Amino acid sequence: MTDPARETGDVDAADGVSADGGVADAETVDPTADEPELDRGLIEAWAAKMITNPDRAYRASFYVATIFFLVTTLFPFYWLFVVAMTPRNNLSDVGLLLPAGFNPAAFIEIFTTLPFHRYVFNSFLIATIATVAVLLVGSLAGYVFGRLRFRGRNVMLLLVLVTSFFPPAAFFIPLNRLFNTNIDVLRPLISAGSLYNTPYAIFIPLSAIFLPLSIFILMTFYSQIPDGLEDAARVEGTTRIGALFRVIVPLSAPGVATAGVLTFISVYNEYFFSSLMTDGRPGSWAPMLEGILRFQGEFAVQYNLMAAASIVAVLPVAILVVVAQEKIVSGLTTGAVKE
Amino acid sequence: MASVKLEGITKRYEDVTAVDDMNLEIRDGEFVTFVGPSGCGKSTTMETIAGLTLPTEGTIEIGGRDVTDLPPKDRGISMVFQNIALFPHMDVYDNISFGLRLRKYDQEEVDRRVAEAADIVQLEGMMDRMPKEMSGGQRQRVAIARAIVRNPGAFLMDEPLANLDAELRVHMRTQLQRLHRELDTTIIYVTHDQAQAMTMSDRIAVINGGVLQQVAPPLECYNEPKNLFVAGFIGSPAMNFIEGQVIDGGFESEYTQIDFDPETHGVTPGQEITVGVRPEDVFLEEDARKASSPTKAFDAVVDVLEPMGKEMNAYLLFDRDVEASAEGRGEGQLLINLTPDTEIQEGDDVRIVMDRENVHLFDRASGDAITHSLE
Repeated sequence: MTDPARETGDVDAADGVSADGGVADAETVDPTADEPELDRGLIEAWAAKMITNPDRAYRASFYVATIFFLVTTLFPFYWLFVVAMTPRNNLSDVGLLLPAGFNPAAFIEIFTTLPFHRYVFNSFLIATIATVAVLLVGSLAGYVFGRLRFRGRNVMLLLVLVTSFFPPAAFFIPLNRLFNTNIDVLRPLISAGSLYNTPYAIFIPLSAIFLPLSIFILMTFYSQIPDGLEDAARVEGTTRIGALFRVIVPLSAPGVATAGVLTFISVYNEYFFSSLMTDGRPGSWAPMLEGILRFQGEFAVQYNLMAAASIVAVLPVAILVVVAQEKIVSGLTTGAVKE
Repeated sequence: MASVKLEGITKRYEDVTAVDDMNLEIRDGEFVTFVGPSGCGKSTTMETIAGLTLPTEGTIEIGGRDVTDLPPKDRGISMVFQNIALFPHMDVYDNISFGLRLRKYDQEEVDRRVAEAADIVQLEGMMDRMPKEMSGGQRQRVAIARAIVRNPGAFLMDEPLANLDAELRVHMRTQLQRLHRELDTTIIYVTHDQAQAMTMSDRIAVINGGVLQQVAPPLECYNEPKNLFVAGFIGSPAMNFIEGQVIDGGFESEYTQIDFDPETHGVTPGQEITVGVRPEDVFLEEDARKASSPTKAFDAVVDVLEPMGKEMNAYLLFDRDVEASAEGRGEGQLLINLTPDTEIQEGDDVRIVMDRENVHLFDRASGDAITHSLE
């Protein structure tokens, strides 16, 4: 069964599989094969096996889907790496799988030509502050919406959620003008008296935009904690807020982790406000995104440095997700079904 | 240790009055049980004492201090919950010491008190277990330890035994009584199970529809119920009720007649009343000497017999034509207790007498008791 005829038979069978692969096979197989079983080409035999043993088919399709998904998501990162490793002069020859040359120095160059670490730090700080603020405010709001009954609760919840339906760009012009206005009260806090070129200009609007989603996630989780536990905490000696942070929040850890990571990633990756609310200098709290764009000069675009910077910028988020992964997975699934 | 005083406590939700003008004084060290059917307001009353719910009207004093507007943590009470409510993310030690740590006791004091409380409820050596690794009874004991460790003025217990299986419940019941004796603390206990109320309490507060019906020692509630509700709720199996009216020289219903002098018992002929008699106060005619003062005999038919071992319950019908009601004991039906060796068959005709000393009369319009004895 190892003769080359098998191969042609396979090709025929694959080509005419819907028409009548059986006939195509019969013409190509050697005369010794009287048994109809043996007439079949590899693909047909494979299909027959799948029909008798569907578990194999499911497993096979699982691997196909998984590999497809992994390739489509991970290949861009690999290609970024290929581009980053390619020396600047060879960029026009950059291949699909292998770099045209070997230049790991790009990963150092991004920190020497620009203070790229400062950009990443800015972004990291802004995302961290926004996450803490969103979790804090979102916890209080989630507690109120999830655990208290009062008149107008649904209307208020809807109002909160509606803010997340607006395109963020709609807020940009008024916010930008507001942040460029000098407010005397702020002068002792911020040298210029305006919020432009400060981390606040990015984290305030982004916190507000991503807050409703967190409120919604936290609300679902907090509403599932039995009343008895909160009552017990209050009798034992906490206030309502104390019970929230000592009992309800720890028991909702997967929900808090999910809301926190989603917020962090959203703020860290955000493009629109991040690129417009500062003048782009690292000292003006310009975020990581501006850093990457800085490698695009007036006369030359240093694609290899942009690629290297992109990889470095992804690392903090990747680490965060790996660390919080277990909680997030259980958060995304249990939130939906837990009674 | 502290006394608890409720004055005019009323709790109204939008259109329901859960608790209506409740007045109650609980003495220092007393074990008082709130008992009543579900939804009667007993848990709401307890929550207002704990401070988890604020009353619409009225004041609460604990240990002579007005605590009506204080948050739960400042009331000097502790509570055991129906669903036990241990913090699932903390081990036994952290659960028990939660309140102490919040109050910033120093570590040695916390350790000493936790050890003491664990010793009382026999939880030594389980300090680092998580609640989900423990049995129902053990969790309940942790919850009790958490309640006693702070040495509070009063314990509030909201159906603490409801989620335990029958055997464990009886065991924990005696444990709680022993605990009360050892600690000598005020305990307010909520249950819908009149057996728990009867066995443990110094006094029972029977509540129905948000209104306090009777507050008295268990036996007084049993022997001298203040109204029809208490008479029917306390005691198992429940009291028999026969509806009828006062006539000259006694009481008459469709199937029975009892002789007494209406005037000495404060009723007037023509008044609609209900006679109540407990199953153990009705006897077969041949056992009439067991009654200290038998009434005259009535005819009845044995419907169903329930041998219980130490006694036998017999469901009687006053007449063969009476339809046995599917929903509880209806008019014309009577439940009596017999000794297990009584020679009797289902379907037998019997003659029965009641013990006049334990026949209760209730005014049907108001439900209030008129007398608890016809002697």
